[in-house]
Parts: sequence; C-alpha cells; structure tokens
Amino acid sequence: MPVMLPTVIRNLFGGPATRMYPVQVRDPFEGARGHIEFNDDKCILCGNCARRCPAAAIEINKEKNELVFYPARCIICFVCVEACNKDAVIASNKWRTPYYTKPVEVHVAKGKKEKAKKE
Amino acid sequence: MIENLKEISKDTLLQEVQKFADAKARFVTTVCSDLGDKLEVTYYFNYSPGVDMVALRMFVGKDEEVPSISGIYLTAVLSENEMFEQYGLKVKDMAIDFGGLMLLGKDSPVKPMVKDNAAGGKGGE
Amino acid sequence: MAPRTVAPFGPQHPVLPEPIQLKITYEDEKVVNVVPALGYGHRGIEKACEINEYPKNIHLCERICGICSCMHGISYCEVVERLWPMEVPPRAKYLRTIWSEMSRTHSHLLWLGLLADALGFESMFMQFWRIREKVLDLLEMTCGSRVTQSVSVVGGVRRDIDDEQKKICIRTLQEVRKEVEALVNVLATDPTVKARTVGVGVLTKEQAILLGNNGPHLRASGVKEDCRMLGMQAYGELGFEPIVETDGDCYARALVRAREALQAIDLQLEAFSKMPEGEIFVRPKGSPPANEAVYRCEQARGEVFYYAKGNGTRNLERLRVRTPTFANIPSLLVMLPGSELADVPIIVLSIDPCISCTER
Repeated sequence: MPVMLPTVIRNLFGGPATRMYPVQVRDPFEGARGHIEFNDDKCILCGNCARRCPAAAIEINKEKNELVFYPARCIICFVCVEACNKDAVIASNKWRTPYYTKPVEVHVAKGKKEKAKKE
Repeated sequence: MIENLKEISKDTLLQEVQKFADAKARFVTTVCSDLGDKLEVTYYFNYSPGVDMVALRMFVGKDEEVPSISGIYLTAVLSENEMFEQYGLKVKDMAIDFGGLMLLGKDSPVKPMVKDNAAGGKGGE
Repeated sequence: MAPRTVAPFGPQHPVLPEPIQLKITYEDEKVVNVVPALGYGHRGIEKACEINEYPKNIHLCERICGICSCMHGISYCEVVERLWPMEVPPRAKYLRTIWSEMSRTHSHLLWLGLLADALGFESMFMQFWRIREKVLDLLEMTCGSRVTQSVSVVGGVRRDIDDEQKKICIRTLQEVRKEVEALVNVLATDPTVKARTVGVGVLTKEQAILLGNNGPHLRASGVKEDCRMLGMQAYGELGFEPIVETDGDCYARALVRAREALQAIDLQLEAFSKMPEGEIFVRPKGSPPANEAVYRCEQARGEVFYYAKGNGTRNLERLRVRTPTFANIPSLLVMLPGSELADVPIIVLSIDPCISCTER
C-alpha cells in the first residue's frame, strides 16, 4: 500500500495521459513530410522529378505542355523536392486527408512560356 | 571483394560443412545467383562467439542435383527451399520439403528470379 | 494413447504482429509436433531491386519491414557504398548511428509492450507504448516521418540535426530513460511475470549456435556475439559491450532486450556529445562497378545480412537480404515440442518475429 501511494496520487491529480483528439490536434513538426504541391508558374518541364520518382507518380508530357501527378501513387519521399532546380515542387508538412476516388492532377507548366517571352 | 572465400564442388560440400559443424560455427545464409548458363551458390558460416565470417562457393548447372545440408544444420532448410522455388536448384533430401509452395502460391510465376523471366512494367501499375 | 488434435496457430493471432501459420499437434496440453507455413507476405522485393535503378531501391528496401525500416535503408546504402568502395563523411556516420539506435529503442519498447500484452498485463503494454510515442516524435522531427524514414542515401544522409533539435532530443531521451528504467524494474521483479516466463522455452548454448540463432535470441543463451563489435559506422569510437544472459529462457530474452533498450539510449547520448562537424553527403562517382560486397548489421531483432553485386550499369545485378527472423524461425521447431499449450504464444513472441522481414 505505501509503495503504491505516490503513483495513485500522481494519477489522480495529473490529468489525462493522452491528448483529446480530434478536439485537440497537435501541430505538425516543421520538417515533417506531409504532401507535395506543384507551382505551375515555375515549372519548365525539365523532367528531373519524373526521372527520380521511385513510384512513377509524375509524368511529363512535352507536346501538351503539361505535368500529370498521381497523388495515390506518391510515397511522399520528397526526392522530387530535392531534385527540382526551379523550386516548382512545394513541400508541405500537413498530412493528406482520405479520399473516395483516386485523383489525378494535371498541371499546365507556365515557366517555359515566360522564358520564351523574355527572349 | 568477399574475404575468406573458398571454392568447392558439390561432391565435397557435405565434408566441408561437417568440418564447420565440428568447429561449432554458426550457419549464416546461402546466396544463389544466376550467371546465365549456370548457378553460383555461396554458403556463409560464422565462427561463434565472434564475428569472423567464411564463405564456400560452388558452381552448378541448372539441372544438377545438390545434396542438402539440413541434416547437419536444420536451419538451412528455409534457405534451401527458397533457392529451389526461386531458381529451380534441385536439392536432395531436405529435412522439411515445402514442394515449391513455401513463399510462392499455386498461381505465382514459376522460378521468378531466373534472368530471362523479367517482370517488366512500370512501378505503380 | 491419448487422442491427438491439430490446431492452427495463426495466421491471425493477437500475439503476432504479422501473419504466420504454425500447425500445432498436441496431446493432452503438451505440444508434440509443429509444422510452419509461410508465404502470406511475399512481395518479391529482391526481383524488384534488379529492375529499378540503384538510388530508387532505398525506398523499396525500407518497406521490407515497418518496424526495422530505418536500418534496412541504412544497410542498403552501406552495402552499395562498399562496391566502389567509398567512404562517407564522419558526421554522416554518427548521424546514421544515432538514427539506428533510435530505431532500436522504439523497436524494443514495442516488443516489451507486446510481451506484457501477451501475458495479460495490459496497463503495462499501454505505458510502454505511450513512452514509445515520444521516441517516434523525435524520429518525425529529425527524419521527417515516423515509419519509413528515407533519411539515408548512397553517399551520406539527406538531413542534418541542428542545435535546436539536438537540445530537444537530449532532453526527451533523458526523460524517456528514467521512465523506461522504472517500468523495466516492475517487469523484471513481478512474480506473475516470472512465473510465466522463467524456465519456458529453454535453449542451451550449443543448441542455439547449431540452430543458427542470432541477435538477442542468441545472446540470451550465453553467447557473446553482436555485429556491432565489427566496428562499422561510429560504433568503433563509442564504448560498446554486448549484453549477455546465460539462462536461455524467455525471461532471459526479455531482460536482454530491456537492457539493450537502455543501452541504446546511452549510446545515443554519447554519440550526440561526440559528433564532429562537417559535411553530410559525398556524391558517388559514376555507376556501381562490377564487384560484390557483403555487409552485416545488428538490427533490433538480430543480424541482417546484405549481399550486393554490381555490373557496371545503374542497375544492380543481384541483391540478397537475409533478415534475422528468417534464421530464428527453425529454433521454434525445436523449442515448441514438449512445452505446454498455454506457453506457445509466449515462446513464439520471444524470438521477436517479424514475418514481413522474413518473406520480403
């Protein structure tokens, strides 16, 4: 009995040991890998991200000037973020929410057109 | 390069492995590789207690039979079954014979690790 | 003669983290025979590693197992680096050591929780896993994700730990150490825990070596053997001694893992204090040459064996992974016959089974 007393008092007045989720949500850490987004204005369709992706989640289509991204295949490894020289792939630390059908994102790359205008 | 590698043939395999059992060495694993026309099988042993590792390597044709060392080291039974399933290496008298169904199922590709059975296809399909 | 019954243990069982089936033949509460059946988690990762280019294989190798994923990624990078052979910078070696030991801490805390749950001691299971959450938060803060960390590349590591994160890590590790020590004392001295684990599933020293055991399973039978004695990464510069027990039963295995979890926290604190400054990545030159290399690492569950063979192109010729549970399973075929039926879950759990590692 005397051995248990400190533990009993600590548990009685200490409050809950777990967070009251979903009322209280923890802020994600800064460097955490959440999901990726694409910045259409900066992409020049060089294809670095598509070549380095381990899950083949990015496809480059140079004739139609577009980049197709399959979020359901993405394993959120951030190799594309490090491979992009123009900072067109944005890293975000918020985790994805569930979806009912697999989305396909089509981005029209505008970085190259601006370069042609400047010349 | 691999240190402490010794080349043997499949006839002297059981004698060499018995020497390791008498010296109280621990069996680590077997590695099988496809060289095109023949298979290269390497056995690794570790002198316990300690971390010195020794390798035995032999070359066998794809249709030859190899004696099983699971009579001396029971733990080799899983490795030998795996080599039989993935490469088609025939091993005689294994202590437990899963008959090619240890890791693969009835509808799986046959001998998948052999070089001309490449899987192909893009990731994520 | 008493009638014999065959009961399936698995593939789904509350004690098993991953599916494996053991068909147990028993006669009046004593187990007579065991026949294993694997193959529920085979994905063909060794074949897929030959099709991909070598930098993409890191992500494949990490997904061999969810609990030991950090060390699989690091071992793959180390074995491919030995093909050239090339050296990584010292700071990268220390960072890899710190993340390996963090991974070992959370894996042993998970196993201690599972052991308490298998014995019916549910409140201890929840306390161990609550403490484990703090270690997983550290992994998320420094590596980016709780599981499948992808923090190592061929040539070094991708991220660095700056001073602010280092202070948080050291403070959290010291808190975790105090709490784990208090819980381990309770587990080791409780009379009901001892009654169910002492003298159960005994393996002598000669049997353990002949059956190919490795890791804590082997060290609990009195054999002083640990791959970290090879001195790879930064272990040669940290003071490290393997932990050995002599009894060879389930209680000895639990004590070895509990003490290793505390030793892992001490090794991390020591590595933080000795870490040198410098760069963290060196770019490898060209493709892996036509060479072969072998690397053994001490994962949480035992000794993992990686073999790589290059052929001059960006694809590897052969990658072979032999995980610790692959070599520990045959010891079940010797330990289980002769034991009581109620002891079967404890014995199966005491080898720390990681079946997705076994089947790749």
